[in-house]
Amino acid sequence: MSPGPRGRRSSLTLVASSADAPVGIERNTNRARDWSGLMARAQDGDRHAYRALLEDMTPYLRTLAARCFREPSDAEDAVQDVLLTVHAVRHTYDPGRPFGPWLVAIANRRIVDRLRRHIRARSREIELSSEHETFSPDAANFQFEDTSADSAALHAAIATLAPDQRLAINLIKLKEMSLKEAALASGRSVSALKVATHRAIKSLRKRLRQSSETP
Amino acid sequence: MTATRELIDTLVECATPVQRLRPPLVRAMLWLVVAGLVIALIVMGHGLRPDLALRLHQPAFAITTAAALATGILSAIAAFVISLPDRSRWWLLLPMPALAVWISTIGYGCLTDWVSLGPEGVRFGEELRCFSILVLTSVPLTIALAVMLRYAAMLRAGAVATTGGLAIAAITASALPLFHSHDATAMILIWNLGTALLITGITSVFGRRLFGLLATRLLASGTQL
Repeated sequence: MSPGPRGRRSSLTLVASSADAPVGIERNTNRARDWSGLMARAQDGDRHAYRALLEDMTPYLRTLAARCFREPSDAEDAVQDVLLTVHAVRHTYDPGRPFGPWLVAIANRRIVDRLRRHIRARSREIELSSEHETFSPDAANFQFEDTSADSAALHAAIATLAPDQRLAINLIKLKEMSLKEAALASGRSVSALKVATHRAIKSLRKRLRQSSETP
Repeated sequence: MTATRELIDTLVECATPVQRLRPPLVRAMLWLVVAGLVIALIVMGHGLRPDLALRLHQPAFAITTAAALATGILSAIAAFVISLPDRSRWWLLLPMPALAVWISTIGYGCLTDWVSLGPEGVRFGEELRCFSILVLTSVPLTIALAVMLRYAAMLRAGAVATTGGLAIAAITASALPLFHSHDATAMILIWNLGTALLITGITSVFGRRLFGLLATRLLASGTQL
């Protein structure tokens, strides 16, 4: 069993490559026959057979998934999806029919589903790098030259606010707490915090405008 | 997600004996028997239209009804076959010839009898009765089909929902002429194609959602069993 060339449309089949064709086909036919027997016993409640089947087919499923996913963790998630589906629909397998097409059809469906989800997520999400990470503690925030003047002015303006407004700004805007978290931390009601923040921003705007107008 | 080895352990712990599915043809026949029973109950409740025997001797009426019935039977077989993961998608084509005959006979009747539609052709009371028959037939059939094909949720939800919807629509459309006696072609067209489009549309749109819900439940029960 070997993955096909990447350029071609990769169809999921239970066949060997031409290099080891006679041995490979015989081995795969035997394996498919074994899997068919194991699944028939698993359907009757034989847990040993079921474990043997799941463990035996996992590397094969991993090979199928690895053709479609670059990240090993994505491929492993797809394998787990397939195992879950095989478990949920194991009563649909007819022991009189070959096991390979049944398994490959399920694997195909689950892998394609996960690929679609993957592509959809990638189209609307941006992977975060360490440069995107921000933390509220001072140590994690660099003071750049061009913003330090503004920052100093802002902090000076905050220092002149009334104590309850300063507290609200500190918790909600600087520490980026939610209203609920800030209410818990400060012991004030949510509405009081809302009012204090609103008033604080209003007076900050006024002060900063005044300081920018006066040279 | 748990690691694959742990997942295998969990799945093995949950591996209770399962009842294998009967062949798809047998299961399709079972569903058709349910459909026959539902229609028989409605016949007992509403009674047949008085001129049914006479109408059945008219080729256009007989062909339309037979084609709708054939579409229903073949779509049901196709839905049950393609619900299994290892069966070919070509089975989707099974109801197509009967569907083509059904649509063409309706279209032909429409062309030849167009003038027979009069302003008094639409009566509200009669339409309401027909609508109630439509709901009474299609709702139990939809529930029965959704229960019987719930495992298809994780495999070919869209194709099974659409083919199953066509089966329900065609069976309902073939049952309607047994009760209501509209001869106006517009009525036939609305009740036949309208019913088919409405039910197929509803099942293919909501069937996916229903199947999505079923898939989540099946997967959840798979790990919790």
